[in-house]
Amino acid sequence: MRTGASLAVVERPFRPRAVEWEMERGATQADHEATLLAQIARRDATAFETLYDRYSRAVYSLALRLLGNPQAAQEVAQEIFLHIWRGAGEFIPTRGSARSWVLSLAHHRTVDALRRQRVRAVEPLAEGDLGAVGGADVVDQALRGIEGATVRSALMTLSPEQREAIVLAYYGGYTQQEIANRLRIPLGTVKTRIRDGMQRLRVQLVHGEEERR
Amino acid sequence: MTHEQASELLAAFALHALDRDETRAVSAHMRSCAECQLELALLQEVTGQLGSAVRQVSPPPGLREAVLAGIQKRQNVIQLQRGWAVSLAAAAALLLLVLAALGVSLSRQLTALSARLTAQEQVLALLAAPTARSVSLTGSVTAAVRFVYDPDRGRGALVVSDLRDPGREFVYQLWLIAGTQPESAGVFRPAPGQPIVLPLAADFSRYQAVAISVEHAPSGAPQPTTTPVLLGKL
Repeated sequence: MRTGASLAVVERPFRPRAVEWEMERGATQADHEATLLAQIARRDATAFETLYDRYSRAVYSLALRLLGNPQAAQEVAQEIFLHIWRGAGEFIPTRGSARSWVLSLAHHRTVDALRRQRVRAVEPLAEGDLGAVGGADVVDQALRGIEGATVRSALMTLSPEQREAIVLAYYGGYTQQEIANRLRIPLGTVKTRIRDGMQRLRVQLVHGEEERR
Repeated sequence: MTHEQASELLAAFALHALDRDETRAVSAHMRSCAECQLELALLQEVTGQLGSAVRQVSPPPGLREAVLAGIQKRQNVIQLQRGWAVSLAAAAALLLLVLAALGVSLSRQLTALSARLTAQEQVLALLAAPTARSVSLTGSVTAAVRFVYDPDRGRGALVVSDLRDPGREFVYQLWLIAGTQPESAGVFRPAPGQPIVLPLAADFSRYQAVAISVEHAPSGAPQPTTTPVLLGKL
């Protein structure tokens, strides 16, 4: 492939042999964890064990925090690691750190599990169900579960409304629409709170000292 | 979805707080937008920290064994997960086709085998998605060529099981066709007696068809110079 026009539309120039692609990717890794993921993409089981030992606690803890049930958390954590084994090749080092890739994947899978759980539990979905209104309980509970001091204080710099929206989304696993329904406020308002709140967190967290536990 | 619309939704995307359709639309935009990719990387550093800040608990020891046993099994047998049951029958039929096409064979060469496994995994991962589609390319030559793709994830692969040699001075060139505009997706030569898989990534919603034409070796042409020999509608 050599035309400029086609390069622009195909995200990655495709290569006739997958293994070449992987090797090239591997050669560009600087960071050790990114290298681990590249090795895993090449089916290196030892690299996978190292990654597991490094992340199992973080992944399991996140799943447990969201799902609130050790059995469900264990099942999802297992699913997450199998997904990493299968999908490590999808990690692109120039688009963020290995750590945030793993945690983003873990969060995504856990939220999916949480939503499946909810569909089963609340069927048919009763709109305006009193039990499903408001967010104070979820927010309080989530904030109690946050032990990282940097993140906790960054969250406290948000307005209570922004904090509520972000906590319901990230730790509650709710979509923007569900948050709007729960809080009985317009969807546009939720979108604005989430956007502004995340910008603020970004300033606080990405440029500040990183939270490492 | 325009850049402005996607950009507005990125924070919620990073929080996984969009519904299915929005997620799909933002993902599609993201693939061709470097600015949004960078922005998302920063937002994911934030969500990564949110995720790391929860009370840390050691997983039960059984988890490690279960996970490691899971990947061992996965190295030999591709497990279908319960969640994929939606289009299980269709996916299973396609899996068989592709597995047959790829020829899970007894290649002695470890490199070749690992390349093939990686390619298979990519195709299987594609097919495992409930939204995966498969198109058989037909035209003026006898061939067994399929294009499998997942429009949601923007991943696809051309699976060439049988296609005659184009001759020493020629190669086959794959085109993605947007409207009347063919865009090159690379060149290839069929390997005698051995199926080949060409993975690629693109926003498939932009294209209506894939086509293959015969072009001059080694690197093909910027635009097709011959009538396509094979065509498949997306």
